[in-house]
Amino acid sequence: MRIRGLTKSFAGELALDHADLDIERGKVHGLVGANGAGKSTLIRCLAGVTVADEGSVTISGEELQKGSPRASEQAGLAFIHQELNLIPHFNALQNILLGAPKATRFGMIDWTRSGVAARAAAERVGIRFPLETKVSELSVAQRWLVMISKALVRDASMIAMDEPTASLSGPESEQLFDIIRDLSAQGVAILYVSHRLEEVLQLCDRITVLRDGRIVDAAERGALNKKGLVRAIIGHDMRAPDERARFATDRDQRPIFSVRDVAWKSAVKGVSFDLYPGEVLALGGLVGAGRTELAHLIAGAAKPDAGHFELEGRRLAIPNEAEAVRAGIALVPEERRSQGVMLQQSVAFNINISTLKGLRAVPGLPFISDRKARRQAEGLVAQLGIKTPGIEARIGGLSGGNQQKALIARWLNAGTRLLVLDEPSRGVDVGAREEIHDAIRALARSGVGILAISSDVEELTLLADRVLVMREGRITGELTGADITEARIIELSYHDTSDEQGDIA
Amino acid sequence: MMAQAGTATKDVAPLRKSSWKRTALMWLSRYGTIVGLLLMVVFFSANAPTIFLSRANFLNILSQASLTAIIASGLTYTLVVGEFDLSIGYVASFVGLIVTGLMAYQGLPIWLSIVSALLLGAAIGAFNGVLVTKVRINAVISTLGVGTMLTGIGFTYSSFPIATGIPRAFTDISLGRLVFGLPNPVIIMVIVLIALWVILNKTDIGQKMQAVGGNLEAARLSGIRVDRIKIFAFATAGFCAALTGTLLSSLLGSGTLAAADGYLLDAFAAVFLGSATLREGEFHISGTLIGVLILAVGFNGLSIFGAPTHFQPIFKGGILVLAVGMSALARRYAASA
Repeated sequence: MRIRGLTKSFAGELALDHADLDIERGKVHGLVGANGAGKSTLIRCLAGVTVADEGSVTISGEELQKGSPRASEQAGLAFIHQELNLIPHFNALQNILLGAPKATRFGMIDWTRSGVAARAAAERVGIRFPLETKVSELSVAQRWLVMISKALVRDASMIAMDEPTASLSGPESEQLFDIIRDLSAQGVAILYVSHRLEEVLQLCDRITVLRDGRIVDAAERGALNKKGLVRAIIGHDMRAPDERARFATDRDQRPIFSVRDVAWKSAVKGVSFDLYPGEVLALGGLVGAGRTELAHLIAGAAKPDAGHFELEGRRLAIPNEAEAVRAGIALVPEERRSQGVMLQQSVAFNINISTLKGLRAVPGLPFISDRKARRQAEGLVAQLGIKTPGIEARIGGLSGGNQQKALIARWLNAGTRLLVLDEPSRGVDVGAREEIHDAIRALARSGVGILAISSDVEELTLLADRVLVMREGRITGELTGADITEARIIELSYHDTSDEQGDIA
Repeated sequence: MMAQAGTATKDVAPLRKSSWKRTALMWLSRYGTIVGLLLMVVFFSANAPTIFLSRANFLNILSQASLTAIIASGLTYTLVVGEFDLSIGYVASFVGLIVTGLMAYQGLPIWLSIVSALLLGAAIGAFNGVLVTKVRINAVISTLGVGTMLTGIGFTYSSFPIATGIPRAFTDISLGRLVFGLPNPVIIMVIVLIALWVILNKTDIGQKMQAVGGNLEAARLSGIRVDRIKIFAFATAGFCAALTGTLLSSLLGSGTLAAADGYLLDAFAAVFLGSATLREGEFHISGTLIGVLILAVGFNGLSIFGAPTHFQPIFKGGILVLAVGMSALARRYAASA
């Protein structure tokens, strides 16, 4: 496949600026770049969902018709997006064959005969569960396998994958990489889009870096290291994690927040810890270790079966989210678009929504002062460096990183005592991640309790002053200071070492 | 554009529009309703200047519009919070019957009858809200069920229209012209619209309603008591329906079973027309007013030109489909832009 001079602009801004890219069969092509660098635009142009203004795409010598998803599919291109387009109440087989021609008998679908190709494809990607399983019962990793099988059934010659490992655990990711390598050995071209640079370096035969819609770097395997890649993406060097002194936890102070023997269903099994003033406490571990569930318990989305929480020494009963917020506990959720922002509304609206009472023109009367609302929003936008055309701009138009900053801004004036951040930099580019981390750290130093949850081991090492690692619903280890390394976190995520470390908080 | 797209032109994707076409569509979906209203006014003025352009006719249009505007703006609230209410027409009919009954049968003073009637409407709305939020019955089922029950309860209360024993002062409410020679219902409509607009746009409960409608989960996590906000929206819808029902009884001089049932479709048509006005597919009070005016001017024109009455439902149904279509288009372009 040859892409030549592909250009696309939205409302006068160039999203893609004369991009040239060659994709060969049997190779894994990495595509990296900050949010808004043009990766999705490029993929959408290939998929036929967006029509490029200029440029051409040729596949084995034939020009691809623009703006036709059907033509793209017939040319052998398959796309797997972060949000997997599967029908939850269909089984795996039905999903794999969705839209593909099926064998029929007397006008009715003959699933046995139609399933032959699907089963072959399932075998190729190593699906071990029965294809009759409903997709809603499958794990995210298994769903990926279904999506890949779906692409294979259609004889895809190129499969584009957008952030495949975003919700996969370590071993699941490894399994996916094996499959990707197999596929590429069988002659399928893979276009691999990810923010996780290590993966890209490890997996891809060729890496292309996009910045501001332009291709700024393209290198074969081995020609780039992580540092170089980061420099290419953000245009400057990144601070190394060890250059920053970690905040030493002062355990003599009264904890801001304490968790005591909290248990919930089978996900959380007797968790206890203390969070001290000034520190950024992070929860690491694999997906499914119980961290997100714990966060939701703290935020009042569910009631623990056993145990309790204490905020500044006072025992809390949190019946629902509204009471949690009233008590000073806020959650910045994992799913930014579906649980965080109100996409149709303005930046100011999204920032101010949790502090409406303080914005009243006259205390006691429910009327909002436009002036106070504007001033607060402008102040917070400036404080967090949110890049937006204005506070009245729709938040949906902002990049993921800036949306995330707005969600943090929402809690800065809300009397928040404990801020729980679930995956604070998911889907956020390297530069914005650093800014978000700075904001979180500043908040912690100012006395707000910070509990950050991340599946991204690198993020934990960059952000946390103290790391608690969870495994299967229990805290299996604690790391402080120089011990916070990727290797140690991963080790604790897999092996229970609580026996050796008896002094866990 | 076709030449550039290559040879195969048979299956053109829906998004494949040149940019001026997009801009035009976007503009049309935003201002189309207002342009439509103006075109109707111009057309009727040109073809029937003496009848259509008279002060009496304008007041007539406004009076007709006022009852619909009140019930429709209440409905707007439920749509803003992402729910809807199919019971409003039945609530209006039911309360319209009860309010006359309170005066004729129970002998209550006018003001007490009206206050009770309006509170009854709000209570029915709140009950709908509780069914939807706390019991978690889908809004279609719960509001349709409650509405149907009201029809039966109304029939039990009085199986024939209540026309005698209604004080003259009650019918004078809708016939009188207290301010600027405008019919009282018009004044009441203006007050209700302003109040609802202010609550929705200038108070914290209004902001919370918009947040709940914008993203329920996010609103919950922002500390908003989502259920209460929704119940408030339903109660407002019930209150407005009761007000429309009361005014209708005053206008008719009687309490009649099922008298206001037809307002349900009018209100939905108006609100959806309004959601395609100015903003992309959001529900808002000023849009709803435009929607109501389109309906009122349309009905007025139809009757001036002597169209048979069965044209009215064709116009009404047609405009509802058109409105929903336009607001869907507006939403899609808002999402893809």
